[in-house]
Amino acid sequence: MAINSITDAIAAYNTAAKSVTGAGSGGDAAATEGAGPDFASMLKEGVNAAIDASKKSEELSKQAITGKADVRDVVAAVNNAEMTLQTVVAVRDKVISAYNDILRMPI
Amino acid sequence: MDDLNKASLVAVSGMKAQSERIRVVSENIANADSLPSSPDSLPYRRKVVTFRNVLDKANGNSLVQVKKVDVDRSDFPKKYDPQHPAADSNGYVMSPNINPLIELMDMREAQRSYEANLNVVGVSKTMLSHTVDMLK
Repeated sequence: MAINSITDAIAAYNTAAKSVTGAGSGGDAAATEGAGPDFASMLKEGVNAAIDASKKSEELSKQAITGKADVRDVVAAVNNAEMTLQTVVAVRDKVISAYNDILRMPI
Repeated sequence: MDDLNKASLVAVSGMKAQSERIRVVSENIANADSLPSSPDSLPYRRKVVTFRNVLDKANGNSLVQVKKVDVDRSDFPKKYDPQHPAADSNGYVMSPNINPLIELMDMREAQRSYEANLNVVGVSKTMLSHTVDMLK
């Protein structure tokens, strides 16, 4: 049961990585050898998405200060940026803590 | 894009539409005493907003938008005021076809709808944030 849930988690992670980096770029070879490069590119894509969202929200905030943008659009953009960043950080923390757990594993 | 994010985009469009409605209502309330300047001109005519549903092609959402700010074509009530420059030969002045009570109700309705959309934004944000918190 425990083994099953771990493999399920790895499979879910692989699907997430593939959906972000584009199918076929990572490949099964990388997944079986170790998810190092895949994780890096997934994180990079995620961080880029967060950066894009923040840029958009900052741009809208600037326009709102000068009275050009709708306040509701600003709220939506800032919310979206915040959520994207939170998601990226949560996934990163989770994967890194799992990696640390493996490093600390007694052999 | 996540469905909960889409939900808040839809709610934001509703908030925008209701803000525009509030603006039109405020124009009506402010112009309730805008009488004509001469006997042959007309007073302020009440404005009404109509909404329509638009498809946001990028995300596949059904958003709401103000279709048109139209005018209320009902008759202007007449008020007896012989001293007014716009009074006709019988001493009556045409006044705007605005009933403040109707405008207040319209404003209240727009406010409630805005609050409902605001709640949708809040709830979808909380749901998403709690889901992401499961990773921590």
